[in-house]
Amino acid sequence: MKILLSWLRDYIDIQVTPEQIADALQMAGIEVESIHQPGKGLSKVVVGQILTRGPHPNADKLSICTVNVGAADPLKIVCGAPNCDAGNKVPVAMIGASLPTGFEIRKAKIRGEESFGMMCSRRELGISDEHEGLWLLPPEANIGEDIVKAAGMDDVIFEISITPNRGDALSHLGIARELSAIFNLPLHREGLAGHAGEGDVSSQTSVTIEAPDLCPRYGARIVRNVRVGPSPRWMKDRLEKVGLRAINNVVDVTNYILMDIGHPMHAFDLDRLEENRIVVRRASEGEKIRTLDGTDRKLTSEMLVIADAAQPVAIAGVMGGFNTMVTDATSSILLEAAVFDPISVRKTSKQLALMSDSSYRFERGTNIDNVPIALNEAARLLGEIAGGKAAAGIVDAYPAPAPLKRLMLRTRRTCRLIGVDLKPQQIETLLLRLKFEVTREGETLWVGVPPYRHDIEQEADLIEEVARLYGYNNIPAKLPAISAAPRLETPLQALTKRIRDHLTSLGLHETMTYSFIPAATPAELAEGEPLKLQNPLSEELAVMRTGLLSGMIDAVKRNVMADEYDLPLFEMGRVFHRGAGGLSQEFDRLCIGLCGSANASDWHRSREPNDLYRLKGLVTTIGHLAGQQIQFKPGTSPALHPSCQFQVLVGNKPAGILGQINPKWLDNRKLPREIFFAEIDIGLIASLPRPMPRFKAIPEFPAIRRDLALLLPVTIQHDQVIGIVKAEAGPLLEDVRLFDVYQGKGLEPGRRSLAFSLTFRSPERTLTEEDVQPRIDAVVAKIGRDLDGRLRDK
Amino acid sequence: MTETHDTIWQQFEAEKATAAGTKELETLRVKYLGKKGLVTELLKGLGKLPAEERKAAGERINALKNRIAEVLDADLSKVQAAEEEARVKSERPDPTLPGTLPRPGTIHPVTQVALEVTRIFQSMGFFMADGPEIEDEYYNFEALNVPKHHPARDMQDTFYLENGQVLRTQTSPVQIRVMETMQPPLKMIGLGKVFRKDSDITHSPMFTQMEGLVVDENVSLADLKGTLNMFTEAMFGKRPTRFRPSFFPFTEPSAEMDIQCVFCSGKGCKVCKGSGWMEVLGCGMVNPRVFEAVKYDTEKYTGFAFGMGIERIAMQRYGINDIRLLYGSDIRFLRQF
Repeated sequence: MKILLSWLRDYIDIQVTPEQIADALQMAGIEVESIHQPGKGLSKVVVGQILTRGPHPNADKLSICTVNVGAADPLKIVCGAPNCDAGNKVPVAMIGASLPTGFEIRKAKIRGEESFGMMCSRRELGISDEHEGLWLLPPEANIGEDIVKAAGMDDVIFEISITPNRGDALSHLGIARELSAIFNLPLHREGLAGHAGEGDVSSQTSVTIEAPDLCPRYGARIVRNVRVGPSPRWMKDRLEKVGLRAINNVVDVTNYILMDIGHPMHAFDLDRLEENRIVVRRASEGEKIRTLDGTDRKLTSEMLVIADAAQPVAIAGVMGGFNTMVTDATSSILLEAAVFDPISVRKTSKQLALMSDSSYRFERGTNIDNVPIALNEAARLLGEIAGGKAAAGIVDAYPAPAPLKRLMLRTRRTCRLIGVDLKPQQIETLLLRLKFEVTREGETLWVGVPPYRHDIEQEADLIEEVARLYGYNNIPAKLPAISAAPRLETPLQALTKRIRDHLTSLGLHETMTYSFIPAATPAELAEGEPLKLQNPLSEELAVMRTGLLSGMIDAVKRNVMADEYDLPLFEMGRVFHRGAGGLSQEFDRLCIGLCGSANASDWHRSREPNDLYRLKGLVTTIGHLAGQQIQFKPGTSPALHPSCQFQVLVGNKPAGILGQINPKWLDNRKLPREIFFAEIDIGLIASLPRPMPRFKAIPEFPAIRRDLALLLPVTIQHDQVIGIVKAEAGPLLEDVRLFDVYQGKGLEPGRRSLAFSLTFRSPERTLTEEDVQPRIDAVVAKIGRDLDGRLRDK
Repeated sequence: MTETHDTIWQQFEAEKATAAGTKELETLRVKYLGKKGLVTELLKGLGKLPAEERKAAGERINALKNRIAEVLDADLSKVQAAEEEARVKSERPDPTLPGTLPRPGTIHPVTQVALEVTRIFQSMGFFMADGPEIEDEYYNFEALNVPKHHPARDMQDTFYLENGQVLRTQTSPVQIRVMETMQPPLKMIGLGKVFRKDSDITHSPMFTQMEGLVVDENVSLADLKGTLNMFTEAMFGKRPTRFRPSFFPFTEPSAEMDIQCVFCSGKGCKVCKGSGWMEVLGCGMVNPRVFEAVKYDTEKYTGFAFGMGIERIAMQRYGINDIRLLYGSDIRFLRQF
């Protein structure tokens, strides 16, 4: 919203700088986004009148003019604008003038002709972007007067943003009221019009409110003899400066009142109202109206309309109707000023997707006491600028006048909440400055709330008023003395931190992707039917992710496309499933995506590929962080490679998946086949009881180590061998570890070699070969019997 | 016999004088004292002597043996020390060759800021609470004093699910959930993702918010100022702050907190749009209506709440000019933090 300093001065004599005004409003809760001073940086530009225009001897497109700038002699000026005709009044930048662009005017020779100044367009004066030729000033402009003053450019325009609770501040009067409270200056409104006129209004129209729940007050005045035409300069100026387009004097008057006192108004062509009367009622279902903007709209029975005897003529508080709007042919006008239910206006405006300055203000609450004021002021202005003759009186349908809202304010509680010791009288003074009515009973104040302050509903709201006018920055800062019981991080919070530190220390990068994913995500990547957004930003962000995998696949792909192949990425975040009753059920997940190698730049060691088993190692160590043993089984997730994948289990519960990318998702030749993903449920892992370690004595006796290379069918899994080793090696086996896997040259096809290192130790004595060899023999024999394996030949 | 000893000794001394390194000294030891060494051979010859001479001869040979051994040991330790010194001096690693562990990965910039903010509040005794990211309208709006059809709902353009639930537009529902299950005094923070229907270079439809709540008897606006000043000092350094009145449905009075711009120290720059101030968070005293929703005694308890956007702080801190980079997973971006 734009607010003019000159307009504020209609209400308040304020003498401080624009910056001080902005700062004061800011610190009272009214945000000032910018201050614009159109005349700033402009000097020695005056009103001039072109006396003569002649051709330039050396240039077809240039003219030579003589211009009267109020000095003894006219100036000779060379001009290129097409509209530099004699008689026009235009801004003239004289020698020595400076323009907002920083441009300085000097005596110049233009194509051989001397020029003593420059005639200006609005663009050159920094008040418009249009190339429209010279700015033609009104004929009544005073020759020689400084343009800043003559064109009202000495004004200051504040761009202000009002929070939704402060509907009362959406006007010049509203802002002036704030300033009056802040600077403790009187607020004056001079020359408020009455409702005198010719002939009695009540015999010329009537207002029937059939829906008083949605329209507590509806006022109408009639003005006849109106000559519809352009508004005078001063009104156009003000409207244009606040960003409204001047339309005609009648519409301009209603807009002017809106910006002036914040009350939306509407003007009907009285002669086009059936039976010249107003009915405020709910629309009937399916009823139609063509609105001012020429659009046909279908109404519902929940919407409030203004109707004449036959049909709707306006959507209450939102927009007027096309058929009854003021046109050049209009001469009799019915002015409307009313109050409509904010919720009803908001619902209607939302349903019709139609927002207006009116609906914006009605939604935020208007001043019910302003109904007669708005009507009388509008009638006065129409008389002044459109020759209108108002009928005497107002038809004021106000079935149940609202009582003054009274609230109790305890001064002690006020002080306690703000943290400052204020005397009851100080509090009273602050409230009085804000135009509250105050009655003091000892330490309790009874506060009457002005009808425009819809945001003041309870004691806390009054305390805020006291605090903000007292000044937040005058309140001391101290620390609360609170002894809230300590609460530790949850296991999930702690695990999340440990995982992040662990994975990043191993070279992985943390990423974050959107929680919403494309509607077209393949079903194989969704775990069940995803939750859908009613109002997504786009089809790409239309359903809630059921897992992190699809986002990670996308992340890896996009990086590979940018020629980044060594990718260790992880993400932790929530995923959303359809739970009981179709409601969301959330899970905390970790997803890892690997590609390329882990040490591409390592000069010292051979390249370590980011492969399936490195990924398995990462997932296993995450189990260790939580004190859990992770198990792996062949997996069946449709999201991953049909065979190269494992199911991840913790405590026999499915906890995730791990594997190679499904070749189906390789839709570009740049993408390598060796991309690996794991997704695990860290919420589940963190929820499991963490086993407490039990101390075992440090061994006293030396161990015996034996290596065993076994030749086995490739179908035999590592775990099967380990199982037999552990069972047959007996209680002296301390540890068994795989140290080599080999398949290929030198071995018969269909077989691979697994080499294990076995450690035997006794807690009681030093072992000998005789203790160990029989156990090794037993292992080899059992592997021969059960797994078709044998010792690999040396 | 003695002549033989003298000859051996002189021969040893002569050879020792030319022995320069450990290796030569060890060769000498073998030559004289080894299994077939000259002195050892003398000892072996003792058996051939008459019994009465053996003892004296043995003592003499042993004396010779010990003498040679002592000299050898002494020389050896001298030479070894010299050799060790030379070896240590000759070792010259290249300090500029890269170490052989992979570079550590990086923590997402948003997480880094969130962790720092969290650490500060945890050190001030706040505990961290979690809540769902998909909420019922009740928790996201009504319990926070944002009724249906109120213009305050326009402050946050909301994503709705087809089932009627909403993506939370703020972390404030966490406050409600905590207060429903705990009694004051309490000091909590909540951190998490929130969603608003908005997207350009400074707005992301998903972003991260940190929320805080303090409730006890006699908590005041002065306490709010003190606590948040302490936070901004730890986070941004000691610099002026200011509180401007504002509007949030769930607090009354409400305020926006600004700190002096960290880039221009108040002189006015591009980041602070010339104002000299940077907005850091919104805050206020908990609206009694919120306490009513969670059945707290509004006469007994007062409290304050605050909330801030993490992305904006991260973007300012690291000079990131487009919020969408934060959610693009581009490793060339992620690696920088």
